[in-house]
Amino acid sequence: MPRQRALYLPRAYRLGPTRRRFLQGSAAAIAGVTLANCRQNIAQQAAPEAEAESTGSTTEGGNGGGSGVLHVYTWADYTNDEMVNAFTEKTGIEVIVDIYDSNETMLAKMQAGGGDAYSIIYPSDYMVQQMIELNMLTKLEPARISGLDNIFDKWQDPVYDPGNTFSVPFAWGTTGLLYNTDVISDAPEDWDYLWDNSSALSKQMTLLDDVRETMGMVLKSLGYSYNSTDPAEIEEAYERLVEIKPDLASFMSFGFEDGLLSGDLAVVMAYSVDALSSIAEDDRLNYVIPSSGSSVWTDTLVIPTTAPNADAAYEWINFNLDPAIAQLNTETLFNATPNKVAYENLSAEFKNDEKLFPPEELLAKCEGIAPVGDAASVYDEFWTRVTSA
Amino acid sequence: MPKLSFPNTWQGWLTIALFGFMYGPIVVLGIYSFNDSRRYTSVWQGFSLRWYESLFQDARIFRALQDTLFVAIVAVAISSVSGTLMAIGLCKYYFPGKGVYRGVSYLPLIIPDISIAVATLVFLASMAIPLSIWTIIAAHMVFCLAYIAVIVSSRLGSLDPNLEEAALDLGATPTQALIKVLLPQLMPAIVAGCLLAFVLSVDDLLISSFTAGGGANPLPLEIFSRIRNGVKPDMNALSVLLILASGMIAALAEYLRYKGSTMER
Amino acid sequence: MSASLSKGRLRGLATGWGYHLSRLTGPLALLGPAGLWLLLFLVLPTLLILDISLVPGLRPEDVDSAYGLGNYSKLFNPFDPAFDPVYLQVIWRSVYYATVSTLACLVLGFPVAYWLAIMAPRRWRNFLVVAFVLPLWTSSLLRSYAWMSILRPTGLLNSFIAWLSSFIPGVELPTQSWLYTSTAVFVGLTYNFLPYMVLILYASLEKLDISLLEAAADLGATPRQVFWKVTVPQTLPGIAAGCLLVFITSMGDFVVPTLLGGASSMTISRLIYNQFLGITRNWGLGSALSMVLIMAVSLAIALLLKYGDRDSVKEA
Repeated sequence: MPRQRALYLPRAYRLGPTRRRFLQGSAAAIAGVTLANCRQNIAQQAAPEAEAESTGSTTEGGNGGGSGVLHVYTWADYTNDEMVNAFTEKTGIEVIVDIYDSNETMLAKMQAGGGDAYSIIYPSDYMVQQMIELNMLTKLEPARISGLDNIFDKWQDPVYDPGNTFSVPFAWGTTGLLYNTDVISDAPEDWDYLWDNSSALSKQMTLLDDVRETMGMVLKSLGYSYNSTDPAEIEEAYERLVEIKPDLASFMSFGFEDGLLSGDLAVVMAYSVDALSSIAEDDRLNYVIPSSGSSVWTDTLVIPTTAPNADAAYEWINFNLDPAIAQLNTETLFNATPNKVAYENLSAEFKNDEKLFPPEELLAKCEGIAPVGDAASVYDEFWTRVTSA
Repeated sequence: MPKLSFPNTWQGWLTIALFGFMYGPIVVLGIYSFNDSRRYTSVWQGFSLRWYESLFQDARIFRALQDTLFVAIVAVAISSVSGTLMAIGLCKYYFPGKGVYRGVSYLPLIIPDISIAVATLVFLASMAIPLSIWTIIAAHMVFCLAYIAVIVSSRLGSLDPNLEEAALDLGATPTQALIKVLLPQLMPAIVAGCLLAFVLSVDDLLISSFTAGGGANPLPLEIFSRIRNGVKPDMNALSVLLILASGMIAALAEYLRYKGSTMER
Repeated sequence: MSASLSKGRLRGLATGWGYHLSRLTGPLALLGPAGLWLLLFLVLPTLLILDISLVPGLRPEDVDSAYGLGNYSKLFNPFDPAFDPVYLQVIWRSVYYATVSTLACLVLGFPVAYWLAIMAPRRWRNFLVVAFVLPLWTSSLLRSYAWMSILRPTGLLNSFIAWLSSFIPGVELPTQSWLYTSTAVFVGLTYNFLPYMVLILYASLEKLDISLLEAAADLGATPRQVFWKVTVPQTLPGIAAGCLLVFITSMGDFVVPTLLGGASSMTISRLIYNQFLGITRNWGLGSALSMVLIMAVSLAIALLLKYGDRDSVKEA
């Protein structure tokens, strides 16, 4: 250790008691004031005050979206290189895609301040409603969007976003059971299959790692609504979920294909998008929408208030509304498209695929997930209990 | 030099078994990175380099690698200077509150990653600082500082004080003595510390996932999300390359630390 | 490690600020930047977490919320209506995982460290220790991923077992299905932290005076007696240090329980993660859990400082 010489030693001083106390006091005061302000800052970031008219940012020089980079935050299977390259070729804008695996994760990231780079995100229907309430979305300017009239009437004025003021429907689908026909001889028909066969298929089943989908599914299997706000019903669903939990391998929203194909897993709860793309790769798999009804979801395109490149965002929206692209979407990515014109242009094989476009009677029994207001915390409590216990 | 003969004690056998245990999974990753099979089954289907090829064509991975390397290099570069200075300062001076200061400098080594990550996120949110690659660097600097300081401190303890005194006696200013005498002696420790901090920064998952934003996507985040969302065997190829790289860097760091400590004997 | 808070007794000074400042530039230049950074990015954030943990159920979008002990009460107070025993369960499970892994590391690591420190040829010792510890510095994410592919029902371990079975006619060795169960988490944690334990025990055993062991043997002690009555007491500080270090790090581990554990393997680290970047978005509760973890770790460190071997810790 280098010897301490008098040359280096600051001949320091002892702080008198009063001076020390003064410093301590002022430090505490500063800390207190800072901390009080801090929470305001967090809240501001999480739920910004609504601006009168959001026009979004404009790129320098007013070149109208012919340049720059577009950061897209989306689900795992919603874009592929083909589409991205087509977009870049058409508009010259580079696209960088980041992925999330649940609406809530996306919301959490946006609220934590990590979403400032994204100009386009893909929330599902109920999340759009929630984000509108939190003032996180910009109002879309109808003049800058072309192709909205290509959408089916059903989506022209949806419940979650009247008049499509903030969002544009991108894809819709269902949730159901994906299973390996080699492992399971009798095809599942309803959600009860999981409970009936829980011991035979122990540790070979998974459910979605999504509070509303999974809790909703259990509620449905008990005869209640996906959007029940009755705590007693939710608790009943919790109890039922706990029954089956020991036989679950895990809660997984994605990534079960390998397990299914190798035989580790027998039946999983899956979104139609993933199910159908897995089936396309290997036809030993099959997908069924349970007969008592499931959830039907719509994923949308929105522009967050913090979007840095709104022009590019509009370009991306228009690109996806193009019937040719929407058609490509369905054919390669297996998203059921809400685009009328694209639907017409699909081959009969796709149109008649009941897994992709379920018949009306079945759809009538399916529900869309809607925000449940204060009951959301009840759902969260029970979900935490289920996943943590 | 005595040969490393085969041990015939049960401890020796257990050690060999555990060496196998330690390196086994890594070897498994390596073997399957060459497996010519789309799905990762245990069936060997032929030797193939296609996963390495697929890896090199993956633009996302390269972007992620770029982000990670940028963060690691900047964080370590800044931390090496400030951490070394901190270690020297702690060694030389007494001041009121030195114990607290030293304790705080050890904190990043002790507090679990998740707590540091969460605290940093809340701090950034409360200062209304948007997350970006710079926030990752800022967060990484905290533990890089601590590690470098610890390693340099332990080296400082075994230095010969006479050299520095001699330099001062010969008329050097304190700064010159620092730069020309102390630093060269510390160099192996500084480099070892930097290499260690570099490896830790590259492998960090939790702190990065809490402080990343603005499109920054460090490699561990990318790998984690791929593992969760369905993985192709090119992950194996990537794993092998990363493990080899970090192993080499760690070995280099150890060698330097060892060489530095034997220099004094 | 540092001494306790020492108010250095130094000579007083009576002259003006200029003199003070010129004296201060040295230490300020050295200690300032790092100190400032640690203050800003470590101390202040931790204080903030403490502050937020005292706001019950704070969500990021809440502006005005009163202070209160609601978060902690929810975790620990059975009389609170919002109390949910699942949080204690998670904490308990983290402790359980950490304890079992620590014991496994100790039982497996001690013979290895013993062999390396005492029985291995002297010239090779350093190299062997470094070789054993090297995997520690490679990504734990990737090593856990490797275990995922080994432990799956159709993975390598079962194939290996099946292959072994083929040698024994008529006997079907039981295959395992450890992935997504606690067993996989134990395997993963032990695997990740065994090198820590070996390193610390090695540092402690290296200093063991072999002549003591020989003397005990000469006096008629059996090898077992030599071990328990001489070796262990001498290395007790190192054992304590190793155990506490492994315990602390495995309690706060995130990757292993997330990747290898299944539906029933939630640990405190992942629970905290979920509060901030997951579904629940309850920053207040997450901060409270984070403070609990910090307290637990600090307690363990305090114990470590009291009973542990300082050199072993430094070595780690």
